[in-house]
Amino acid sequence: MLSQLRSALVDAVGVDGVLDEPSALRSYECDGLTGYRVTPAYVVLPRTAAAVAAAVTACARHGVPFVARGAGTGLSGGALPVADGVVISLQRLRRIVEIDPVNRRAVVEPGVTNLDITKAVAPHGLYFAPDPSSQQVCTIGGNVAENSGGAHCLKYGFTVHHVHSVDVVLPDGTPTTLGGESELAEGPDLLGAFIGSEGTLGVVTSVTVKLLPRPAAVQTLVADFDSVEAAGATVTAIIGAGIVPAAVEMMDTLAIEAVEAAVEAGYTKGVAAALIVELDGPAEEVATQLAEVETLCRDHGTTAVTRTADPAERARIWKGRKAAFAAVGRISPNYFVQDGVVPRTRLTEALTRIGELADEAGLRVANVFHAGDGNLHPLVLYNEAAGEHDRAEHLSSSIAELCVDLGGSLSGEHGIGTDKACSMTRQYGQDDLDTMKRLRAAYDPAGVCNPGKLFPTPRLCGERPGPYHPHPLESAGLIERM
Amino acid sequence: MTALASPSEAGLRVLLPTTAGEVRDALLDTAGSRPRIGVRGTGTADAWATPAGPVDVEVDAEVATTELRGVLRYNPADMTMAVRAGTPLAEVQEEVGRHGQRVAFDPARAALGATVGGLLATADGGPARHAQGTLRDLVIGVTVVLGDGTVARSGGHVIKNVAGYDLAKLFSGSFGTLGVVAEVVLRLHPLPRASATVAVPVEPAQAHDVGDRIVGAGLEPSALELCDDRLLVRFDGTPEGVARRAKAVAAAVERPVQEAADTDWATVAATALGEPGDTVLRLGTLPSAGPGTLAALPTAGLDTALSSTVMSGVHTLRLRGGSPAAHAEVLRAAHAAVGPACTVLRRDGLPADAPAWGPPPRSVAVLRAVKQRFDPTGRFPAARLAPWLDPEGVRA
Repeated sequence: MLSQLRSALVDAVGVDGVLDEPSALRSYECDGLTGYRVTPAYVVLPRTAAAVAAAVTACARHGVPFVARGAGTGLSGGALPVADGVVISLQRLRRIVEIDPVNRRAVVEPGVTNLDITKAVAPHGLYFAPDPSSQQVCTIGGNVAENSGGAHCLKYGFTVHHVHSVDVVLPDGTPTTLGGESELAEGPDLLGAFIGSEGTLGVVTSVTVKLLPRPAAVQTLVADFDSVEAAGATVTAIIGAGIVPAAVEMMDTLAIEAVEAAVEAGYTKGVAAALIVELDGPAEEVATQLAEVETLCRDHGTTAVTRTADPAERARIWKGRKAAFAAVGRISPNYFVQDGVVPRTRLTEALTRIGELADEAGLRVANVFHAGDGNLHPLVLYNEAAGEHDRAEHLSSSIAELCVDLGGSLSGEHGIGTDKACSMTRQYGQDDLDTMKRLRAAYDPAGVCNPGKLFPTPRLCGERPGPYHPHPLESAGLIERM
Repeated sequence: MTALASPSEAGLRVLLPTTAGEVRDALLDTAGSRPRIGVRGTGTADAWATPAGPVDVEVDAEVATTELRGVLRYNPADMTMAVRAGTPLAEVQEEVGRHGQRVAFDPARAALGATVGGLLATADGGPARHAQGTLRDLVIGVTVVLGDGTVARSGGHVIKNVAGYDLAKLFSGSFGTLGVVAEVVLRLHPLPRASATVAVPVEPAQAHDVGDRIVGAGLEPSALELCDDRLLVRFDGTPEGVARRAKAVAAAVERPVQEAADTDWATVAATALGEPGDTVLRLGTLPSAGPGTLAALPTAGLDTALSSTVMSGVHTLRLRGGSPAAHAEVLRAAHAAVGPACTVLRRDGLPADAPAWGPPPRSVAVLRAVKQRFDPTGRFPAARLAPWLDPEGVRA
């Protein structure tokens, strides 16, 4: 059976495109959620959309499950292979097919990295707005699968707001296109429902992305606070004043300590919280609103406000913020990265409860988050060698579920994948999940496309995630996980 | 669909649920006796995409959402609001406006009392589409009721949320064929402190180039709408900021710029609504191809009005006067030019047999599969999208 599949895969992608040596397969056994590992039967590396379709067709005919994979930076195990299944790596589909500066869009293959899109269109004064912090390595195909956001999605939205259309190979091998040339709907918004479906509805072979002109001005400030409550209240005040910053980020004492130990970005050590507020747009309005933000920070008792003086200083502040996850490795041997969302007005309450949960567990939690949209990234610090793993894992899950209990969500951007599939019943009822499964069944009645993700299954929910290990680029402060 | 337009005459049973639970009960109660259900809000899109010819799909009862209304949850500081789907958008705007907020969405039908659910199901949009998209971009949660009484929720009350499939997107543009939208959670934006609109006189053929210069200059207009031969450019922001940006338009476009008035925006809305006797079509094109596509339509001899969300490639064309055959000729040409990206918003001027839809999108097989899974017993006859979803059921 498997040998027949192998020959069909060779026909589909060529003999140099099929990997089945154990050593080669090992590179694909996990994504950024390294605690889960499964070795696939084959990895295929198609070079064209037609080869992707042929590979999917081969899998469908043999009833073998397949998992599409970009750069493998996902943090929820969405690209975890299926045992005896096939991984379809899209790393060889990395052409920028067309740049259309007049219509501000580009056609790119799924293996193109997020940042390479922006680099390619920069000569036209354009950029691709979603900026997940792994943007140097993560691929646009993965961004579509996860509906990636980033630090600037408060103002600019997520991947779903920046894609015109995608070419997709459906789970039976049929190619189709979702979306159109204009922004006029053509019946139900299949494209919108596809983006963020975590690779469970088909394999993307081409993405037509929307591009934006660079904003005329960008200004960034960092404000220190002696309490997390004051920083949180400041965020609410900024938003309440009718200001829509491009980004509002917050880091707490522990996170700042880690960042400074790692990259010396210039944050004030020892303060309870630092807010990073970035405004962009027409120069005068940015200047006016920056002054207002500064006033609001002072009204809420900031202990120091620093406006970044130049792009280099701005880059340093962001480098620190982006290195935060990996930097936590400087202050703790092991840690879990959590991703949850609460209504913004419940940020302070969420942080207080997280602190209490951490105290109860006898562990430390560092907090780095997108404060503007209530997207928390608590980092649960622990020592594997000291036998703290299970306690830390329990604490991390409790935090995600706390977010749901506070009226929020299990995930703001990392996805459900394998990691949180078992928690989905906390956020959704059985009828909700069954209805979502109708959509899945419409695309994939045989259930061969990235099975075992997103929805809870008895088999999966008996398993357990492992600790977080940073990507090497992340340790270097070049990318971050947000 | 005549039966839906005058339910009492047709002896149609009209169900008036007030909650999502009552929508479920209504669907369960009628499962045996009245299997085929229509869904209707305040009826402001009754003329949208109505099927050709006489009523081709009879329904046995109608779920009217006019009593399915009211705010379920609103915490102004979170800038999100949950409403029942039959709540008119105008009521929502009034309520959130009191707190200095808005739904950044301005379809012409809102003034006629269109409901939030109806506007989502028809994927309507107004000039704010330029910067904020349509309702699909602003809905963060939805509760739907399927034909078998299943009540399902997706999304939630937070603006950032990737847990589970986004059913709100799927129901955007679904025209009541998949189920009933019962509740909607909206993302809100601050009301701008100031707004200013200027008008740039342009030949329609140049509108995209001129719009491109304004956007390219980093002026961040909140709307950029061609209204016949003037490009309306709206700025939202601080009073000084919008004044400066409005002033900067002339330099960016190297043309004279005129004052604009609120009546200019009223003209845009009037074009989309049309008047009795008119035909109104909405077409989607690649933005730069819009002028050429529109110019090639056989509109000679007709009184036309045009409103284009230029940079989005969405064009609303009103036809008046001339013969039904002439209107049909324009529709035929539009279908030939833009394929599935054409919605009939008003068909008074068209002959009875003019089709509502052009060729289906490439993904039509997926659409049919979705319809089959969500509504396997066909409780929501595919009337509005019948030519795509149920081609065999459509009468000539």
